[in-house]
This record gives sequence, structure tokens and C-alpha cells, in this order.
Amino acid sequence: MTAEKTKIMGLFESEADALAAIADMRSLGWVIERVHSPIPSENIPRALGMRKSRVGWFTLAGGITGFFAGFLMAAFTASRWSLIVSGKPVVALVPFFIVGFEFTILFAVFGNVIGLITQANLPKFNYSQDYAPECSADQYGILAACGPEEAGELEAFFTERGAHIRSFDVAPSTA
Amino acid sequence: MSDLTYKEIDDTVIDTLSPPTAKYWGIIALVFAGLLMGAGCWLYQIFIGVGVAGMNTPVHWGTYLINFVFWVGIAHSGTLISAILHLFRAGWRNPIARAAETMTVFAVCCAGLFPFIHLGRVWLVFYMLPFPNQRTLWPNFQSPLMFDVVAISTYLTVSALFWYTGLMPDLAAIRDRATGTRKRVFTILSLGWTGEQGQWHNYARGYLFFAALATPLVISVHSVVSWDFALSVIPGWHTTIFAPYFVAGAIHSGLAMVLTLLIPLRKIFGYERIITIHVLESVAKTIVFTGLIVGFAYATEIFIAWYSHNIIEMESFWWRAFGDYAIPYWIMVFCNTIAPLFYLFKKVRTNLKLLFTISILVNIGMWYERFVIIIGSVAHGFLPNAWGLYSPTLIEFGIMIGAFCLFFFLFLLFVKHLPSVSMTEMKETLHHGASDDG
Repeated sequence: MTAEKTKIMGLFESEADALAAIADMRSLGWVIERVHSPIPSENIPRALGMRKSRVGWFTLAGGITGFFAGFLMAAFTASRWSLIVSGKPVVALVPFFIVGFEFTILFAVFGNVIGLITQANLPKFNYSQDYAPECSADQYGILAACGPEEAGELEAFFTERGAHIRSFDVAPSTA
Repeated sequence: MSDLTYKEIDDTVIDTLSPPTAKYWGIIALVFAGLLMGAGCWLYQIFIGVGVAGMNTPVHWGTYLINFVFWVGIAHSGTLISAILHLFRAGWRNPIARAAETMTVFAVCCAGLFPFIHLGRVWLVFYMLPFPNQRTLWPNFQSPLMFDVVAISTYLTVSALFWYTGLMPDLAAIRDRATGTRKRVFTILSLGWTGEQGQWHNYARGYLFFAALATPLVISVHSVVSWDFALSVIPGWHTTIFAPYFVAGAIHSGLAMVLTLLIPLRKIFGYERIITIHVLESVAKTIVFTGLIVGFAYATEIFIAWYSHNIIEMESFWWRAFGDYAIPYWIMVFCNTIAPLFYLFKKVRTNLKLLFTISILVNIGMWYERFVIIIGSVAHGFLPNAWGLYSPTLIEFGIMIGAFCLFFFLFLLFVKHLPSVSMTEMKETLHHGASDDG
């Protein structure tokens, strides 16, 4: 059966107000779809019960790959002409470690960027759907979804807590 | 700073992106002409040969490599400010981090040009890539010059990605206030950033890792540059203090360039409430610290030459101070170690004209430091019959001026088209209650 869903965003002036609203919404059973903020917050992800970011695993994988890629590239190129230079061994650990180190950083950063892009679902060029531009300026936006019959109640909930309301087009969804 | 609001921060920064005046385009045209002149000099050298430069036996490393080391050094303070001070949670770095990061990216671009120019036959640049040449010979990764290729390429890539990642939320803020084509451009540039928690949560983690990775990288890059010299046997170069000495010198010159760029920027764009005197004072205090390290390194070099009783080293350092290049040497000593000491006085640190003047002196001094190290060593090596002098030709001066123009051209384009202060970090500073003392 197809039902209609209303999305309402409450725009709060401060993080404290947004955090209080999130706690109340979770205890009252409202469905929070997203929370936007103008700056990174340590408290909001905790209040939403978000899991620890997995970006670090991408970074670590990149770093390990990079070290071996750099060291082995230097060793491989040296082994193509097994020529003793300045009395050093053909596969010289100290200089090749430097190449390995630089590649560790380079590939770790590549891993970091890939991790950030994939985990943050970027790029997202249809960003404007259910989005309030004030969120990039100075407002904390909590986007909640409810049935049309509950819309008034949800708006009242936000208004009571000092939020400005932004309603979005009714979106059909399957129930 | 603490009396600002989020809106005022946005308004102040976004106002700087208003359509430029004719005066701005006039300055752009001027630096672009300088850039074209530099490019013309390089083209002339490509067609005629590297002999048009003043390099000759025994000085085969001239201004091209002086400028290379100078620009790599300038690049260092951007990462110090954006990464190292971020890890230390130094609140005063927030208003200047963006400009310093941008300076880093553009300075590395300028630095990266010089090995190409120095090559002479620039079309053979692929010899530096891990790719076998026609005799199936691969690059020698035991050479510090190859460490340099890897380190500088990594530094350029990492600093550019770090800079862009930090820009994303600000690009979204501009997009949300823009219309028409400008909105479409910033939508693409911001990658559709909306500031939802899933994005911030991963961004904060990713940014921290960026800072943690950039910190050892920045130290390694100038250490690697120093090994270009220290791993040779030339008197004056073959010393173990070169890596920390170069890193401290790099940060010294980079911080001076930050002041040189930010003092006019602050005045022109009305950033007085964001880039406060306290912020400039903090940069000046850090310059005093790095200046003392650099001064200590100069004294250590001389002490080691004397203490070693090595006549070649003693001669080399005596000649530096009292020989043909004595004037550059004493310019270096004065500008890098004596002039910054004036920043110990609060009256000097809070006087913008003096702040700016001393920052220029440090920039000049650091250029001469590279001159003294590079030329002063190879011109006066082991054998008296191989001693010689070097002076740059007009072509080399032209290319050097062209590089400065390229740097200022890119920086001027940046300040009118992208946010030169990080709005997000300024808002964070306000949110966390960091006052001017932060």
C-alpha cells in the first residue's frame, strides 16, 4: 500500500537546542532522517548513536599499500641493473625506506580521500532535496519524517523548542 | 573576535568575492606580464641552451636551485599552520590557515618548476620517472635527487588535497548564497556538500588523519631537500645538522611570507576583526623562535668547522664570512637572526608597518641563506685551482622574477575567487569559545 510522507525540518539557532530536540525526538519516537550543522560537532553524532567513522581503515590500507609499493618499486628498479653504486648494496634498505616512507604518506592520503568520499556519500549533486541553505550558514537543521496526520504535531514539537520550520514537498513512499 | 557572529563571518568572507575592480585587474595584468616575461626567458634558454645562465665550473647549481629551495621553504609554514598547529589545537591559526595552505600549494608549484628549468633539456624530464630510458636504465633511487622527486610530488599532491578538503564546507556555504552560473560552479566544486552529520562525522576524522599525515611529511620534505646537499662530500654541505637546520629555516621563511601576504590582505579585505593583531603577534613570536633556531644552526656550523680542526671546513666557513660572498653572508645573518629579534618588543609586534618590514627582511635573508649555502660551498671546494665565482645573468633574474609573479598571480586570483579565510574554522573557534587568547 502506498502512503504519503511529510518531511519537516526544524532549524535551531544553537547546538544545545538541537541536541535537546534530538534527545526528545528519540524518546518520543519521531523518525529523524538527517541532521545538518554549519560546523562539525562531536555531540550530535553521539546523540544520534552514529558508529565510529571507518575512514581510518581506508587510510591505514592506503599507508600499508604505499609503503610496500614505494619500497618494492625502488628495489625492483635497482635490481634491473644490479650495479653497485658507491659501495652500497643493490637493494639498499636506508634509501629505499625513504622512498617507502614518502609513498606511505601519499597512498595513505589517497586512502583517506577515498574513505572520506565513499563514507560521506560524495559527490551528491542532487543535494538540494529536503535541504535548507541556512544549514551551511548558522542553523542546525533536524529533518524528520512523519505521516501527514502527524505533521501538525511535529511542527508544534519543533516550534515549542524555538525552531523555525521548513516543510518539504510531500513524498510518496511505500508503507 | 569573540564578538563576531556566524553571519558576520560569512558576510565578511563572502563580500571579498564580490566582482573585482579595475584596479585589481590592473594588478593582475601587471603580474601576468611579469609571468610572461619569465616564461619568455625560459623559452629563450630552451632554444639557446642552458649556457645562457651564469652557471659554469665550478658552480653548476645557481639561482634555479636557490629558488627551488626557497620556494619549498616558503611552502612549509602552510602545513605547519594547517596541520601541526591543528594537532596542537592552537586557536590563533584558524583565521590564517586557509591563506597559509593556499600559499603552500602555490609555492610548491613554483618550486616544482625550477628543477625543470635547471635541467636545460626539459624534454628529458621523464628520466626522473620510474620508467626505463632507451638503454633500459631506471632511475637510481639511492640518489637523494630521486628522493626529492618523490618527496616534492607527494607534498604537492597531499597539500593540494588537504587544501581542497578543507575548502569543501566553505564552497557549499558560497553555493547556498549564489545564483545562476556561479551557483552551478560552486555546486560542482563543493561536491554537493550539505553538512549532514554523516558528512561531518567522516570529514572530522579524515581531516585529523590529513593533519597527522602532513606533519611527518612536512618534516621529511625539507629534510630530503637538505640531503641533496648533505649527502655529497662538498665542504659546507656534508653535515648532519642540515635536516633540522633546513626544516627550521623553511618554517622561518614561510611564516615571514604569511605575514607579508596577510598584512595587506587584512587591510584590503577588512579582515581586522577576524585576523586580529593577536594572530599576527602569534606569528611574529613563532618567527622569533624559528629565528633563534636558525641562528643557533649558523653558530653550530661555524663551531663544528673550528672544533673539527678540518682545514677545508675552516677555510670554507672563513671564506663565507669574509670572502667574495661576505655581503650575502652578513645580509643572511642580519635578516634571519638579528631582525626577527625586534619582534620581542610588543611595540614592534603591534605595529603593522614594522611587522611587514621585518617579514620582508626575513624573506630576503632566507633567499640569501640559500645563496650562501649553495653558491658559497661549490664555489670554494677542496682544490684552490678549482675555485671560482658565480653571478646570475639577466635570464636567471628574469626567470626568478617570473616565478615570483606566478606566485602572486595565483594568490591574487585565489583571494578574489575563493574564500581566503576558512569560515568553518572561524565558526568552530567561536563555538568552542576560543577568544583572542586562544
